[in-house]
Amino acid sequence: MVIALGFSMAIMISIPAGIVANQEAAQNLTEDYNSTINNMQEEINKTSTLIECRTSSGRGTPSGVPSGMPFGPGQEEVFVNETVVDEISSIEGVKDVVSFLEKSSEETTSETLSTPRGDFTISRPLYTITGVPLNSSFIDNYSILPTDITSGRNLNEEDTGVVLMSSNLTDYLEVGVGDNVEIYGESFTVVGIYESTSQSIMQARGVYMNIIEAQMITGNTGNVSRLDVYAEDVSYVDGIADVIEAAYSDLYVTTYKDRLENLERMQDMYETTVENAESTLSQTQTVATQEIIIAVVATSLIVFFFMLYTARERTKEIGILKAIGFSNWNVMSQFMLEGTLMSLMAGVVGIAIGIVGAPILSSLLLPSVNLFPTQQQRGFLGQTPGQTMNFGTTLTQSTAAAPDLQAILLAFGVVVLLGAIGSLYPAWRASRTSPMEALRYE
Amino acid sequence: MSEMVLETEKLDKVYKLGGREVRALSDVNLQVKKGDFVSIMGPSGSGKTTLLNMLGCLDKPTYGKVILDGVDVTKVSERKLYKIRRHKIGFIFQTFNLMPYLNAIENVELPMEGTKKSGDKKKQRARELLKMVGLSEREGHRPHRLSAGEQQRVAIARALANDPAIVLADELTGNLDTKTKYEIVRLLGTLNIDQGTTIIMVTHDSHIAARAGRMLSLYDGKLLPKEKEGTHLLKRELICPYCGREIQPDNTFCPHCGKKL
Repeated sequence: MVIALGFSMAIMISIPAGIVANQEAAQNLTEDYNSTINNMQEEINKTSTLIECRTSSGRGTPSGVPSGMPFGPGQEEVFVNETVVDEISSIEGVKDVVSFLEKSSEETTSETLSTPRGDFTISRPLYTITGVPLNSSFIDNYSILPTDITSGRNLNEEDTGVVLMSSNLTDYLEVGVGDNVEIYGESFTVVGIYESTSQSIMQARGVYMNIIEAQMITGNTGNVSRLDVYAEDVSYVDGIADVIEAAYSDLYVTTYKDRLENLERMQDMYETTVENAESTLSQTQTVATQEIIIAVVATSLIVFFFMLYTARERTKEIGILKAIGFSNWNVMSQFMLEGTLMSLMAGVVGIAIGIVGAPILSSLLLPSVNLFPTQQQRGFLGQTPGQTMNFGTTLTQSTAAAPDLQAILLAFGVVVLLGAIGSLYPAWRASRTSPMEALRYE
Repeated sequence: MSEMVLETEKLDKVYKLGGREVRALSDVNLQVKKGDFVSIMGPSGSGKTTLLNMLGCLDKPTYGKVILDGVDVTKVSERKLYKIRRHKIGFIFQTFNLMPYLNAIENVELPMEGTKKSGDKKKQRARELLKMVGLSEREGHRPHRLSAGEQQRVAIARALANDPAIVLADELTGNLDTKTKYEIVRLLGTLNIDQGTTIIMVTHDSHIAARAGRMLSLYDGKLLPKEKEGTHLLKRELICPYCGREIQPDNTFCPHCGKKL
């Protein structure tokens, strides 16, 4: 009896808790999306004269942002000869050409990625080397190196034998500034650590070093994999891009416009995702409202019938009480008190069940909310490395319902109130019993 | 002591059973003075309980008046009747009707619920009453741990809780063995003498009825005009009815002639 009441109370606690958890998850999702879009927008605006040329088809990311997604399976790393640097520099309107060498490690790691759709095991390179021309004018004028240095220092002009590592890599390798690490068989000293740009567990683990050393140790002397071409002025950008595309069919060129288009496409997709999440959420809320109504009705009915039964069972007692001078009000308040007390006890049981069982109950009673992109969208996202991985933040966010104090107190109050209301009629009926007939009742 | 506590005038009660009218009481005229110990005797079905229900404000007569302590209770509305039941009447039942989940002292306190007495006052009064019925030692016991006689004593103490104008006892010895029966009636007699409690006792047991001061008989709903004197009257004067010498109120046998009182 008390347990049954406790359950309906637990439902009343758990469902709002579930709803709140879902709402929070949706909110976080929206915030994540917005901040990602804003960051990218800023980044793109800053680099309007940049033309990115890559040797692989991965969509370009603004320079300075480490390439998030390692090369997908089966995607080969392609390199071009450095001679193109001089050739491109000679195109009219080109101010500077910064060449990079990006090469993944041969060692790989297996990691398990937890998502609401289940766990995925992925294999990815242990780290990705980015060889950077350590030329002071490049370092000063363009964002070619990470900026978030958390310890040690950034790379300087003509540094050799040293590397800058991402924090997730130093964490993984358990090394710090000043330690030696072995990369492609050569020993390097860690001079600085930069913060990975997102908390995503899929964030690439990066190693920055002098491009000359990178070419040497990876056996790519004279090769580069990415060229950042800077135009004198925005007006030259389209022309330069056309020339490069025509001359070098093996280079994938992205300009300010391409990146902007790309961003818009992502924005659309984000919005769709958020809309989906919101509509699912509102459906869930409808279901939740219905369930709460059912719980409320059930609670009052339980109290009502139980008290009715009790009053009947105790007819004789009521008769005695009235014969010895209890007023109708005395009898009624006695029964009301008992009904309320019972629901109070039920409330305590309910809180216990609710706190322990809220996640289970809310997941049982609420349709599962899909706040995440569908498989198709995920596929599409996969083509835009870097940004997509901000989903990692969302993926790791728990949607488990934890009842908050307010919901508990509210439900408690409601149950006690329902106890009082449910026992109102039985108590009234009990109080109206004729003492003479009640005394005869056995 | 000539003050009238309870008076009925031409009391009639008619029940409708199916289409048939059953006259349970007809033209009952009863006068009870303060300090009276009255027994009403009659076979079952004679209307004893019906009469007691009328007197105890549990039922309303079809016709006639019940004047209790100067108030015609038949005119009092159902909603205010509880005050009369609480303050003017003490009920003693055949089946004791104690609350099984309350102990002796709590049972005695029960009629004082809803009065203005403080918790301490109630407890003090209940203790006093339990002492009066000889159960001081057992105030913490629940009814199931008390003997039948003890339970009836608790019930008597409960009936006296609000110092009622009249105590109504309905077959109070019906569930007791012979020895206990007389003890209980003697207790009533003692209370009647010591406290001046006015008592009406309904019974079909002539031996018990004879212990009262006034013996009335009810037959077919009519009060027989002939009233007998019970042995209690003599007891009140504390004189043995057999040898005429002085006795104590709690004597079972006359200390002088040895006869059962």
